[in-house]
Amino acid sequence: MEYKDYYQTLGVAKTASEEEIKKAYRKLVRKYHPDVSKEADAQKKTQEINEAYGVLGDAEKRAAYDELGRGQQYRAGQEFRPPPDWGRGFGGNGGFGGDDAMGSDFFADLFANLGGGRRRQQAPRRGEDSHASITIDLADSYHGATRGISLMVAERDAQDRIVTRERTLSVNIPKGVTAGQQLRLSGQGQPGAAGPGDLYLEIQFRPDARYRVDGRDVYETVPVTPWEMALGGEIEVGTPSGKVTVTVPAGSQSGRKLRLRGRGIPGKEAGDLYLLLEVVLPPAHTDKQRELYQTMAREMAFNPRAGG
Amino acid sequence: MGQAILTAVVVDDEAALTLEELARACAVEPEWVVQHVRTGILLDDAPEHSGGWRFTSADLVRARRLCQIERTFEANDDVAALVVDLSEEIRRLRGKLNAAGVK
Repeated sequence: MEYKDYYQTLGVAKTASEEEIKKAYRKLVRKYHPDVSKEADAQKKTQEINEAYGVLGDAEKRAAYDELGRGQQYRAGQEFRPPPDWGRGFGGNGGFGGDDAMGSDFFADLFANLGGGRRRQQAPRRGEDSHASITIDLADSYHGATRGISLMVAERDAQDRIVTRERTLSVNIPKGVTAGQQLRLSGQGQPGAAGPGDLYLEIQFRPDARYRVDGRDVYETVPVTPWEMALGGEIEVGTPSGKVTVTVPAGSQSGRKLRLRGRGIPGKEAGDLYLLLEVVLPPAHTDKQRELYQTMAREMAFNPRAGG
Repeated sequence: MGQAILTAVVVDDEAALTLEELARACAVEPEWVVQHVRTGILLDDAPEHSGGWRFTSADLVRARRLCQIERTFEANDDVAALVVDLSEEIRRLRGKLNAAGVK
Protein backbone atom coordinates (compact mmCIF):
# COMPACT_ATOMS: atom_id res chain seq x y z
CA MET A 1 0.00 0.00 0.00
CA GLU A 2 1.07 3.59 -0.49
CA TYR A 3 1.75 6.01 2.29
CA LYS A 4 -0.58 8.98 2.26
CA ASP A 5 0.59 12.29 3.60
CA TYR A 6 -2.52 13.67 5.24
CA TYR A 7 -0.67 16.84 6.28
CA GLN A 8 0.13 17.48 2.65
CA THR A 9 -3.49 16.84 1.67
CA LEU A 10 -4.64 19.53 4.05
CA GLY A 11 -1.66 21.75 3.31
CA VAL A 12 -0.58 22.10 6.93
CA ALA A 13 2.69 21.54 8.79
CA LYS A 14 3.18 18.43 10.90
CA THR A 15 3.28 20.73 13.90
CA ALA A 16 -0.04 22.38 13.08
CA SER A 17 -2.41 22.98 15.97
CA GLU A 18 -5.91 21.52 16.11
CA GLU A 19 -7.25 24.94 15.23
CA GLU A 20 -4.98 25.29 12.19
CA ILE A 21 -5.98 21.86 10.93
CA LYS A 22 -9.66 22.63 11.33
CA LYS A 23 -9.23 25.94 9.54
CA ALA A 24 -7.37 24.37 6.63
CA TYR A 25 -9.95 21.61 6.39
CA ARG A 26 -12.90 23.99 6.27
CA LYS A 27 -11.21 26.15 3.66
CA LEU A 28 -10.64 23.13 1.43
CA VAL A 29 -14.19 21.82 1.96
CA ARG A 30 -15.46 25.16 0.69
CA LYS A 31 -12.99 25.24 -2.20
CA TYR A 32 -13.95 21.78 -3.45
CA HIS A 33 -17.63 21.81 -2.58
CA PRO A 34 -19.35 20.21 -5.60
CA ASP A 35 -21.91 23.02 -5.82
CA VAL A 36 -19.36 25.77 -6.22
CA SER A 37 -16.13 24.17 -7.37
CA LYS A 38 -15.01 24.50 -10.95
CA GLU A 39 -12.29 21.91 -10.41
CA ALA A 40 -12.73 18.76 -12.47
CA ASP A 41 -11.73 16.44 -9.64
CA ALA A 42 -13.77 18.17 -6.91
CA GLN A 43 -15.46 14.97 -5.80
CA LYS A 44 -12.22 13.03 -5.46
CA LYS A 45 -10.55 15.93 -3.68
CA THR A 46 -13.43 16.19 -1.24
CA GLN A 47 -13.05 12.51 -0.44
CA GLU A 48 -9.32 12.90 0.16
CA ILE A 49 -9.83 15.97 2.32
CA ASN A 50 -12.44 14.18 4.41
CA GLU A 51 -10.20 11.17 4.81
CA ALA A 52 -7.27 13.32 5.90
CA TYR A 53 -9.39 15.27 8.35
CA GLY A 54 -10.96 12.06 9.63
CA VAL A 55 -7.48 11.23 10.92
CA LEU A 56 -5.84 14.57 11.70
CA GLY A 57 -9.01 16.03 13.20
CA ASP A 58 -9.15 13.25 15.79
CA ALA A 59 -6.43 13.56 18.45
CA GLU A 60 -6.19 9.83 18.99
CA LYS A 61 -6.00 8.90 15.32
CA ARG A 62 -3.59 11.72 14.65
CA ALA A 63 -1.27 10.45 17.37
CA ALA A 64 -1.41 6.97 15.86
CA TYR A 65 -0.71 8.35 12.40
CA ASP A 66 2.19 10.46 13.68
CA GLU A 67 3.71 7.46 15.43
CA LEU A 68 3.65 5.67 12.12
CA GLY A 69 5.63 8.38 10.39
CA ARG A 70 8.18 8.73 13.20
CA GLY A 71 11.60 7.16 12.72
CA GLN A 72 11.15 6.66 9.04
CA GLN A 73 10.40 9.52 6.79
CA TYR A 74 7.65 8.31 4.54
CA ARG A 75 6.76 10.36 1.55
CA ALA A 76 3.36 10.41 -0.11
CA GLY A 77 3.03 7.57 -2.59
CA GLN A 78 5.91 5.63 -1.09
CA GLU A 79 5.46 1.93 -0.43
CA PHE A 80 4.80 1.46 3.24
CA ARG A 81 4.24 -1.35 5.73
CA PRO A 82 3.14 -0.66 9.27
CA PRO A 83 5.17 -2.31 12.04
CA PRO A 84 3.51 -5.45 13.43
CA ASP A 85 2.76 -3.95 16.82
CA TRP A 86 1.69 -0.67 15.40
CA GLY A 87 -1.41 0.85 16.94
CA ARG A 88 -1.20 -1.05 20.21
CA GLY A 89 -2.51 0.93 23.12
CA PHE A 90 -4.83 3.05 21.10
CA GLY A 91 -8.54 2.70 21.37
CA GLY A 92 -10.37 3.17 18.15
CA ASN A 93 -13.85 4.51 18.14
CA GLY A 94 -15.09 1.44 16.39
CA GLY A 95 -15.89 2.88 13.03
CA PHE A 96 -14.88 5.11 10.22
CA GLY A 97 -15.57 8.78 10.43
CA GLY A 98 -17.07 9.37 7.03
CA ASP A 99 -20.27 7.73 5.93
CA ASP A 100 -20.09 7.44 2.18
CA ALA A 101 -16.37 7.37 1.89
CA MET A 102 -15.02 4.32 3.58
CA GLY A 103 -11.63 5.83 2.90
CA SER A 104 -8.75 4.53 0.87
CA ASP A 105 -7.03 1.17 1.35
CA PHE A 106 -4.33 3.05 3.19
CA PHE A 107 -6.88 4.44 5.62
CA ALA A 108 -8.49 1.04 6.13
CA ASP A 109 -5.19 -0.74 6.72
CA LEU A 110 -4.02 2.02 8.98
CA PHE A 111 -6.97 1.64 11.28
CA ALA A 112 -7.35 -2.10 10.93
CA ASN A 113 -5.00 -2.22 13.89
CA LEU A 114 -6.94 0.21 15.98
CA GLY A 115 -9.59 -1.89 17.56
CA GLY A 116 -8.17 -3.62 20.57
CA GLY A 117 -8.90 -1.09 23.25
CA ARG A 118 -12.36 -0.27 22.14
CA ARG A 119 -14.52 -2.70 24.04
CA ARG A 120 -16.76 -0.83 26.32
CA GLN A 121 -19.69 -2.59 27.88
CA GLN A 122 -22.84 -1.14 26.50
CA ALA A 123 -26.21 -2.32 25.29
CA PRO A 124 -26.04 -4.14 21.95
CA ARG A 125 -26.57 -1.62 19.21
CA ARG A 126 -28.00 -1.80 15.78
CA GLY A 127 -25.43 -1.33 13.01
CA GLU A 128 -25.25 2.06 11.37
CA ASP A 129 -27.04 2.86 8.15
CA SER A 130 -24.75 3.20 5.13
CA HIS A 131 -25.03 5.49 2.13
CA ALA A 132 -23.76 5.11 -1.40
CA SER A 133 -24.88 5.98 -4.91
CA ILE A 134 -25.75 3.80 -7.87
CA THR A 135 -25.45 4.90 -11.49
CA ILE A 136 -28.05 3.56 -13.90
CA ASP A 137 -29.14 4.18 -17.47
CA LEU A 138 -32.25 6.20 -18.17
CA ALA A 139 -33.73 3.10 -19.81
CA ASP A 140 -33.42 1.27 -16.46
CA SER A 141 -35.85 3.75 -14.98
CA TYR A 142 -38.27 3.36 -17.90
CA HIS A 143 -38.38 -0.41 -17.63
CA GLY A 144 -37.02 -1.36 -14.22
CA ALA A 145 -33.81 -3.42 -14.02
CA THR A 146 -31.46 -5.44 -11.88
CA ARG A 147 -28.06 -3.89 -11.41
CA GLY A 148 -24.91 -4.88 -9.55
CA ILE A 149 -23.06 -2.57 -7.21
CA SER A 150 -19.70 -2.99 -5.46
CA LEU A 151 -19.17 -1.46 -2.06
CA MET A 152 -16.16 -1.32 0.22
CA VAL A 153 -17.38 -2.39 3.63
CA ALA A 154 -15.62 -2.28 6.96
CA GLU A 155 -16.26 -5.03 9.44
CA ARG A 156 -14.68 -6.75 12.42
CA ASP A 157 -12.92 -10.05 12.05
CA ALA A 158 -12.66 -12.81 14.68
CA GLN A 159 -9.80 -10.90 16.37
CA ASP A 160 -12.01 -7.81 16.59
CA ARG A 161 -9.91 -5.94 14.05
CA ILE A 162 -11.52 -3.76 11.45
CA VAL A 163 -11.00 -5.20 8.00
CA THR A 164 -12.36 -4.00 4.69
CA ARG A 165 -13.58 -6.13 1.87
CA GLU A 166 -15.43 -5.59 -1.35
CA ARG A 167 -19.03 -6.60 -1.34
CA THR A 168 -21.10 -7.01 -4.48
CA LEU A 169 -24.85 -6.68 -4.37
CA SER A 170 -27.52 -7.29 -6.96
CA VAL A 171 -30.27 -4.75 -6.60
CA ASN A 172 -33.62 -4.43 -8.29
CA ILE A 173 -34.14 -0.93 -9.66
CA PRO A 174 -37.85 -0.14 -9.46
CA LYS A 175 -39.43 1.28 -12.58
CA GLY A 176 -39.88 5.04 -12.47
CA VAL A 177 -36.97 6.07 -10.24
CA THR A 178 -35.52 9.54 -10.78
CA ALA A 179 -32.11 11.07 -10.10
CA GLY A 180 -31.60 11.90 -6.44
CA GLN A 181 -34.17 9.42 -5.20
CA GLN A 182 -33.05 7.12 -2.44
CA LEU A 183 -33.40 3.37 -2.54
CA ARG A 184 -33.52 1.66 0.81
CA LEU A 185 -32.17 -1.84 1.26
CA SER A 186 -33.28 -3.16 4.57
CA GLY A 187 -30.59 -4.87 6.66
CA GLN A 188 -27.78 -4.20 4.15
CA GLY A 189 -26.02 -1.51 6.19
CA GLN A 190 -23.30 -2.03 8.74
CA PRO A 191 -23.47 -5.05 11.02
CA GLY A 192 -24.26 -4.60 14.70
CA ALA A 193 -24.95 -6.72 17.74
CA ALA A 194 -28.64 -5.83 17.61
CA GLY A 195 -28.92 -6.35 13.87
CA PRO A 196 -27.57 -4.65 10.77
CA GLY A 197 -28.41 -1.14 9.66
CA ASP A 198 -29.96 -0.27 6.32
CA LEU A 199 -28.25 0.70 3.09
CA TYR A 200 -29.40 3.75 1.17
CA LEU A 201 -28.50 4.13 -2.49
CA GLU A 202 -28.89 7.44 -4.28
CA ILE A 203 -29.95 7.13 -7.90
CA GLN A 204 -27.78 8.83 -10.51
CA PHE A 205 -28.24 8.64 -14.26
CA ARG A 206 -25.29 7.83 -16.48
CA PRO A 207 -24.84 10.80 -18.80
CA ASP A 208 -26.29 10.09 -22.23
CA ALA A 209 -25.58 12.40 -25.15
CA ARG A 210 -29.08 11.78 -26.51
CA TYR A 211 -31.12 12.65 -23.45
CA ARG A 212 -31.27 15.27 -20.72
CA VAL A 213 -33.36 14.71 -17.65
CA ASP A 214 -35.03 17.22 -15.34
CA GLY A 215 -37.04 15.50 -12.63
CA ARG A 216 -39.41 13.23 -14.53
CA ASP A 217 -39.24 15.21 -17.76
CA VAL A 218 -36.85 14.10 -20.48
CA TYR A 219 -35.44 16.32 -23.24
CA GLU A 220 -34.17 15.06 -26.55
CA THR A 221 -32.77 17.01 -29.47
CA VAL A 222 -34.06 15.70 -32.80
CA PRO A 223 -32.23 16.54 -36.04
CA VAL A 224 -34.67 17.44 -38.82
CA THR A 225 -34.20 18.30 -42.50
CA PRO A 226 -35.17 21.75 -43.83
CA TRP A 227 -37.99 20.26 -45.95
CA GLU A 228 -39.40 18.29 -43.00
CA MET A 229 -39.45 21.54 -41.05
CA ALA A 230 -40.92 23.62 -43.87
CA LEU A 231 -43.44 21.18 -45.24
CA GLY A 232 -44.21 19.24 -42.09
CA GLY A 233 -44.74 15.51 -41.99
CA GLU A 234 -44.26 12.40 -39.97
CA ILE A 235 -40.81 11.46 -38.72
CA GLU A 236 -39.63 8.45 -36.75
CA VAL A 237 -37.74 9.24 -33.56
CA GLY A 238 -35.89 6.90 -31.17
CA THR A 239 -36.93 7.66 -27.58
CA PRO A 240 -36.09 6.02 -24.24
CA SER A 241 -39.33 4.04 -24.52
CA GLY A 242 -38.72 2.97 -28.11
CA LYS A 243 -39.33 4.36 -31.57
CA VAL A 244 -42.27 6.72 -31.99
CA THR A 245 -43.73 8.48 -35.00
CA VAL A 246 -44.36 12.16 -34.49
CA THR A 247 -45.80 14.82 -36.73
CA VAL A 248 -43.65 17.85 -37.41
CA PRO A 249 -45.96 20.80 -37.98
CA ALA A 250 -45.39 22.59 -41.29
CA GLY A 251 -43.41 25.81 -40.92
CA SER A 252 -41.46 24.68 -37.83
CA GLN A 253 -38.25 26.46 -36.90
CA SER A 254 -35.18 25.20 -35.07
CA GLY A 255 -35.81 25.18 -31.34
CA ARG A 256 -39.46 24.19 -31.65
CA LYS A 257 -40.45 21.95 -28.79
CA LEU A 258 -42.86 19.07 -29.24
CA ARG A 259 -44.28 17.61 -26.06
CA LEU A 260 -45.11 13.93 -25.85
CA ARG A 261 -47.25 13.80 -22.76
CA GLY A 262 -46.54 10.95 -20.36
CA ARG A 263 -43.50 9.70 -22.29
CA GLY A 264 -41.02 10.97 -19.73
CA ILE A 265 -40.02 8.87 -16.72
CA PRO A 266 -42.98 6.67 -15.77
CA GLY A 267 -44.74 7.00 -12.43
CA LYS A 268 -48.00 7.92 -10.76
CA GLU A 269 -47.55 11.25 -12.48
CA ALA A 270 -45.42 10.30 -15.46
CA GLY A 271 -43.11 12.95 -16.84
CA ASP A 272 -43.25 14.32 -20.38
CA LEU A 273 -40.81 13.85 -23.23
CA TYR A 274 -39.81 17.04 -25.02
CA LEU A 275 -38.44 16.79 -28.53
CA LEU A 276 -36.40 19.82 -29.53
CA LEU A 277 -36.35 20.13 -33.29
CA GLU A 278 -33.03 21.18 -34.73
CA VAL A 279 -32.67 21.77 -38.44
CA VAL A 280 -29.62 20.22 -40.06
CA LEU A 281 -28.63 21.51 -43.49
CA PRO A 282 -27.61 19.02 -46.13
CA PRO A 283 -24.06 19.62 -47.39
CA ALA A 284 -23.34 21.55 -50.58
CA HIS A 285 -20.43 19.48 -51.84
CA THR A 286 -21.45 18.42 -55.32
CA ASP A 287 -22.46 20.63 -58.25
CA LYS A 288 -25.99 19.29 -58.05
CA GLN A 289 -26.25 20.13 -54.35
CA ARG A 290 -24.91 23.64 -54.91
CA GLU A 291 -27.29 24.13 -57.79
CA LEU A 292 -30.25 23.25 -55.58
CA TYR A 293 -29.18 25.84 -53.01
CA GLN A 294 -28.67 28.40 -55.78
CA THR A 295 -32.15 27.69 -57.10
CA MET A 296 -33.57 28.22 -53.64
CA ALA A 297 -31.65 31.45 -53.25
CA ARG A 298 -33.00 32.70 -56.53
CA GLU A 299 -36.55 31.46 -56.30
CA MET A 300 -37.26 32.12 -52.67
CA ALA A 301 -35.76 35.59 -52.37
CA PHE A 302 -35.64 35.10 -48.61
CA ASN A 303 -33.72 37.38 -46.28
CA PRO A 304 -34.01 36.37 -42.62
CA ARG A 305 -32.37 39.67 -41.57
CA ALA A 306 -34.83 41.88 -43.44
CA GLY A 307 -36.38 44.39 -41.13
CA GLY A 308 -33.78 43.62 -38.46
CA MET B 1 -23.40 -15.37 -10.12
CA GLY B 2 -26.26 -17.08 -8.33
CA GLN B 3 -26.54 -14.05 -6.12
CA ALA B 4 -29.86 -13.16 -4.52
CA ILE B 5 -31.41 -10.02 -5.89
CA LEU B 6 -32.08 -7.58 -3.10
CA THR B 7 -35.34 -5.74 -3.03
CA ALA B 8 -34.93 -1.99 -2.89
CA VAL B 9 -37.79 0.32 -2.08
CA VAL B 10 -37.90 3.96 -3.11
CA VAL B 11 -37.94 6.22 -0.06
CA ASP B 12 -41.13 8.07 -0.99
CA ASP B 13 -44.89 7.74 -0.61
CA GLU B 14 -45.74 4.64 1.47
CA ALA B 15 -42.05 3.93 2.07
CA ALA B 16 -41.23 7.45 3.30
CA LEU B 17 -39.18 7.40 6.50
CA THR B 18 -40.44 7.84 10.04
CA LEU B 19 -38.78 10.24 12.45
CA GLU B 20 -36.66 7.46 13.98
CA GLU B 21 -35.67 6.07 10.58
CA LEU B 22 -34.54 9.48 9.35
CA ALA B 23 -32.54 10.05 12.54
CA ARG B 24 -30.81 6.69 12.10
CA ALA B 25 -30.10 7.32 8.44
CA CYS B 26 -28.43 10.63 9.36
CA ALA B 27 -26.69 9.22 12.46
CA VAL B 28 -28.30 11.87 14.68
CA GLU B 29 -30.57 11.74 17.70
CA PRO B 30 -34.31 11.96 17.00
CA GLU B 31 -34.30 15.29 18.90
CA TRP B 32 -32.17 16.77 16.13
CA VAL B 33 -34.89 15.93 13.62
CA VAL B 34 -37.68 17.22 15.88
CA GLN B 35 -35.86 20.50 16.36
CA HIS B 36 -35.34 20.96 12.61
CA VAL B 37 -38.98 20.24 11.86
CA ARG B 38 -40.18 22.61 14.60
CA THR B 39 -38.07 25.45 13.20
CA GLY B 40 -39.36 24.76 9.68
CA ILE B 41 -35.98 23.71 8.30
CA LEU B 42 -37.29 20.25 7.48
CA LEU B 43 -40.81 19.36 6.23
CA ASP B 44 -41.60 23.05 5.79
CA ASP B 45 -44.23 22.67 3.10
CA ALA B 46 -45.01 18.98 3.51
CA PRO B 47 -48.64 17.98 3.90
CA GLU B 48 -49.72 16.85 7.37
CA HIS B 49 -49.59 13.06 7.62
CA SER B 50 -52.09 11.30 9.85
CA GLY B 51 -49.59 8.72 11.11
CA GLY B 52 -46.95 11.27 12.15
CA TRP B 53 -44.17 12.90 10.18
CA ARG B 54 -42.99 11.19 7.03
CA PHE B 55 -39.73 11.99 5.24
CA THR B 56 -39.18 11.54 1.50
CA SER B 57 -35.97 11.00 -0.48
CA ALA B 58 -35.59 14.75 -0.86
CA ASP B 59 -35.98 15.23 2.92
CA LEU B 60 -33.32 12.58 3.56
CA VAL B 61 -30.86 14.24 1.17
CA ARG B 62 -31.60 17.63 2.72
CA ALA B 63 -31.22 16.35 6.28
CA ARG B 64 -27.87 14.72 5.49
CA ARG B 65 -26.57 17.92 3.88
CA LEU B 66 -27.69 19.93 6.90
CA CYS B 67 -25.89 17.53 9.26
CA GLN B 68 -22.75 17.73 7.19
CA ILE B 69 -22.68 21.54 7.10
CA GLU B 70 -23.46 21.79 10.82
CA ARG B 71 -20.68 19.32 11.70
CA THR B 72 -18.02 20.55 9.31
CA PHE B 73 -18.39 24.22 10.10
CA GLU B 74 -19.93 23.94 13.56
CA ALA B 75 -22.63 26.05 11.96
CA ASN B 76 -25.87 26.88 13.70
CA ASP B 77 -28.94 25.34 12.13
CA ASP B 78 -30.20 28.53 10.45
CA VAL B 79 -26.90 29.17 8.69
CA ALA B 80 -26.69 25.52 7.66
CA ALA B 81 -30.27 25.76 6.34
CA LEU B 82 -29.39 28.85 4.31
CA VAL B 83 -26.38 27.08 2.79
CA VAL B 84 -28.46 24.03 1.94
CA ASP B 85 -31.26 26.19 0.49
CA LEU B 86 -28.75 27.93 -1.78
CA SER B 87 -27.20 24.62 -2.72
CA GLU B 88 -30.60 23.18 -3.64
CA GLU B 89 -31.36 26.26 -5.73
CA ILE B 90 -28.04 25.89 -7.58
CA ARG B 91 -28.80 22.25 -8.30
CA ARG B 92 -32.30 23.12 -9.50
CA LEU B 93 -31.01 25.82 -11.84
CA ARG B 94 -28.21 23.59 -13.11
CA GLY B 95 -30.85 20.96 -13.85
CA LYS B 96 -32.80 23.52 -15.90
CA LEU B 97 -29.68 24.62 -17.78
CA ASN B 98 -28.81 21.03 -18.51
CA ALA B 99 -32.33 20.27 -19.70
CA ALA B 100 -32.14 23.30 -21.99
CA GLY B 101 -28.91 21.94 -23.42
CA VAL B 102 -26.73 24.72 -21.98
CA LYS B 103 -23.33 23.40 -20.99
